[in-house]
Amino acid sequence: MGSNTPPSRAALEPFATLDPAALAGLPVSSPLTKLLLVDLTLHDADELEVRTRDIALVDGVKALAWVGDSVFVGTASGYSLFSTTNAQGGDIFTLPESSRPPRVKPLSGGDEVMLLVDNVGVVVDRSGHPVGSSFVFNTTPDCIAEVYPYVVVAGDSKVDVYRRKNGAHLQAIPFARPGTGGLIVASEDAGIGSDVVVIATAYKVFCYRKVSAVEQIKALLRRKSYAEAISLLQEFEADGEISNDMISFVHAQLGFLLFFDLRFEDAVNHFLLSETMQPAEIFPFIMRDPNRWSDLVPRKRYWGLHAPPKPLEEVIDDGLVTLQQALFLKKAGVDTVVDDDFLSNPPSRADLLEVAIRNIIRYLCASREKDLSSSEMEGVDTLLMYLYRALNLVDDMEKLASSQNSCVVEELESLLDDSGHLRTLAFLYGSKGMCSKSLGIWRILARNYSTGLWKDHAILPETDSLETSVGKMSGEEIAAVEASKILQASSDQDLVLEHLGWVADIDQELATAILTSEMREKQLSPEKVVAAIDPEKVGIHQRYLQWLIEEQECDEPHYHTSYALSLSRSAMDAVRLGSNNEERNNKEFDSDMQFIYLLRERLQFFLQSSDLYDPEEVLYVISESELWLEKAILYRKMGQENIVLQILALKLEDSEAAEQYCAEIGRDDAYIQLLDLYLDPKNGKGPMFTAAVRLLHNHGESLDPIQVLERLSADMPLQLASDTILRMLRARVHHHRQGQIVHNLSRATNLDARLTRLEERSRHVQLTDESICDSCRARLGTKLFVMYPDDSVVCYRCYRNQGDSASPHGRNFRKGGIFKQSWLVSR
Amino acid sequence: MAANPGNKIRNAKLVLLGDVGTGKSSLVLRFVKGQFVEFQESTIGAAFFSQTLAVNDETVKFEIWDTAGQERYHSLAPMYYRGAAAAIVVYDITNAASFTRAKKWVQELQAQGNPNTIMALAGNKADMIEARQVPAEEARTYAQENGLFFMETSAKTAINVNDVFHEIAKRLLQGQQAQNTPAGMVLNQRPAERMVSSSSCCS
Repeated sequence: MGSNTPPSRAALEPFATLDPAALAGLPVSSPLTKLLLVDLTLHDADELEVRTRDIALVDGVKALAWVGDSVFVGTASGYSLFSTTNAQGGDIFTLPESSRPPRVKPLSGGDEVMLLVDNVGVVVDRSGHPVGSSFVFNTTPDCIAEVYPYVVVAGDSKVDVYRRKNGAHLQAIPFARPGTGGLIVASEDAGIGSDVVVIATAYKVFCYRKVSAVEQIKALLRRKSYAEAISLLQEFEADGEISNDMISFVHAQLGFLLFFDLRFEDAVNHFLLSETMQPAEIFPFIMRDPNRWSDLVPRKRYWGLHAPPKPLEEVIDDGLVTLQQALFLKKAGVDTVVDDDFLSNPPSRADLLEVAIRNIIRYLCASREKDLSSSEMEGVDTLLMYLYRALNLVDDMEKLASSQNSCVVEELESLLDDSGHLRTLAFLYGSKGMCSKSLGIWRILARNYSTGLWKDHAILPETDSLETSVGKMSGEEIAAVEASKILQASSDQDLVLEHLGWVADIDQELATAILTSEMREKQLSPEKVVAAIDPEKVGIHQRYLQWLIEEQECDEPHYHTSYALSLSRSAMDAVRLGSNNEERNNKEFDSDMQFIYLLRERLQFFLQSSDLYDPEEVLYVISESELWLEKAILYRKMGQENIVLQILALKLEDSEAAEQYCAEIGRDDAYIQLLDLYLDPKNGKGPMFTAAVRLLHNHGESLDPIQVLERLSADMPLQLASDTILRMLRARVHHHRQGQIVHNLSRATNLDARLTRLEERSRHVQLTDESICDSCRARLGTKLFVMYPDDSVVCYRCYRNQGDSASPHGRNFRKGGIFKQSWLVSR
Repeated sequence: MAANPGNKIRNAKLVLLGDVGTGKSSLVLRFVKGQFVEFQESTIGAAFFSQTLAVNDETVKFEIWDTAGQERYHSLAPMYYRGAAAAIVVYDITNAASFTRAKKWVQELQAQGNPNTIMALAGNKADMIEARQVPAEEARTYAQENGLFFMETSAKTAINVNDVFHEIAKRLLQGQQAQNTPAGMVLNQRPAERMVSSSSCCS
């Protein structure tokens, strides 16, 4: 599993060389022809037993490795495995024809063994079973050593380093000139834990040691071999050879390097992968020092492989200069580390700037999700706005400004104002509670939209985008909607009234919503509000008063009067308009009628339900109009019964309502009045006999026939009235007789009472010398005395003092009358 | 043996054998990573992969040895098929020689390998019907005669790739019963039928 890409990593680095004189006893391999197992057993009394076992081999042994109980033998025909415990063995595999001599290399401290077939290394475990994919070396190895996690292979005048785990080719170290003799590599036998490998040439020994993961990545980054650094990082990450903090560190460093190489998208991807990187670290790219957040920027230099962050424009300018130089060098045939894509297709400054900004925006947006300090959050949001503005991303600007954000207004207001991003500024003021400023801008915007001045560059895309989201709304409507949102929640009366006017000019509904909003903490003063409403805007005025009276249950009479007057005027106007425009189609006419009907219904309902308005004032207003029912209601409130009846009976000819009204008045003369009206309507109108007859029919019993007859005119057709008059007269006779009965019964009762009184008065009382006044306790003797109905007796003087109604026994005859059984009517 | 048979994971050594260029590595790549590369490098030595497959409520972990098809590395093959629970012998339906080679592999497995090894015959590159040289019927007949199960596969279009492994896993779990059935069973006949209708019908 070899890779064909030229390796460029430095997994090993030299640290020492030795002279040939220092070398002694290098291993020399000589072909073996026989395998002899020698068992040495030490018995008691220091007696050593030596036992030898022969293992028959077809071929001569050319390579041998002994690990644990296993002996791996390589011969010209193939590899075999023998067990030292029972000397039994078997083939692992045979070698193909004309292959290189066998070679056996224990790995991982003897747990595994590598068996070579040409340039292929097959790794097997101690029992000869294959483990993992084969190594494919790019030369036929002369010598193999292991320095975990690498396998170092010498051959063909160079040393190659492979990754032990997956066989990837990592590094090639060229050595001797070809033909100067073989190379030998060796490491500590255990393989694990050592980090030195010794490489011997014919004339010198070189010592190499392992380079740490971090150092390898650093070296790659220094050479700008980003892809390799990243894959190495991933390898180390997968193997757990690198800490999470270090991974974040490397990603950040990679990000900065890529950033300065103008590869902004990749840079931000790496920034985002770094968990330890702080958003403030990229602030210097956006805003020149010193600024509000300069102190926040951590002094992190990472491996110092990149220049200190500087504003984006400078990064791009410098990067472009480097690119130019690289192009020049490339033409001159010199290799550079600049991205090939850039060389073949040089980017423009404007494109680069846009890509850079878009990617920083991406980073800042992601940073917003993090848990940041408030000042850092301010920086992130403010700079985000700053960048949105740079790309004129109006939608994003407004979204940010109108949502919960930490933007610092002072940093942005003049910028946004200058660049004409007034809507954003208005949203920003609004979200920061700076209502007055926000409203000021909305007002200006509304005015400019309506005068058509605002057909400028910045606004066109803005209105387009909003049209899609809010439906077909004009710019000024949006301004009014936004302003009304602020005003509905504001308790600042002056502010609300100041801006009410222009909002009302655009949309009366919104103005009404502002006035009747219940979102504000403190309600507006009705007096001020009513004064502030443009008298032309009747709708707002009415709706406000309606809300005040119906929702807020306001009982100030003058608001009730105002409301009644306003409704009356509207109704009059509507009626007048409706009657003027007669030449209209039915549909329009119907809808007009519907409107008038609803308006009048509202007016009538209010006039009837409220007792607080001044009916005279209202009446004065509608006196000339045809609003008769309203007038009737008003007159009724004023107690002008006759006029009410006149209106109901004559103007409206609603005899039912008129009779109903008479019933409400509850007096007989009301019916007579009504009858009068029917019979003599005046104003040139003929008598309304039908109505009169109906009245007599319904209420004739309670009317005085004389009066009725007096009022019936000689013109009235007899056949119309006869029935009714007959009924009435019969009723009168009946009534009269009933009266007589009642009269006689009353007389009988009266007689009884008088009799009883007489009996009471004719009672006798016996007085002795001992009899005393019940009040003053003096002897009565021959004095005048008085007896009360409760049988108490007092002297005349006491009677004079006490009066008729109270007896000395404390009984008050006025309050609690006395009643005796004998007084009952006997018949 | 796991205490709960329902959740046991069974390790199974699986080896792919076949002539050079028949698509052994591509089949494995498709099964393990779901990928396909048009120009797959020739395998040297052997490549190792592992992949788990759930069959009903049991799991089989395949330890897959993708061997080199080159004749030079033929001698290494016994090491890989030794002790294998399953073997997939792969040939290329557009190459008659590869089918002959596949038969040799089957013979070798029958002679040298474990008699319990489940053997599958995979006619790969089934997407290239117009270049077919090995009729599906012939291969099926051969498979039945030799107790293999047979499928035509395509690593490129992924046809039947997972099915082959799935069928092997099923047979592994069925244990002895599957071993004793005299002839292999064709699970999915669609590609074969299509081939038959297009070649035998004169309309």
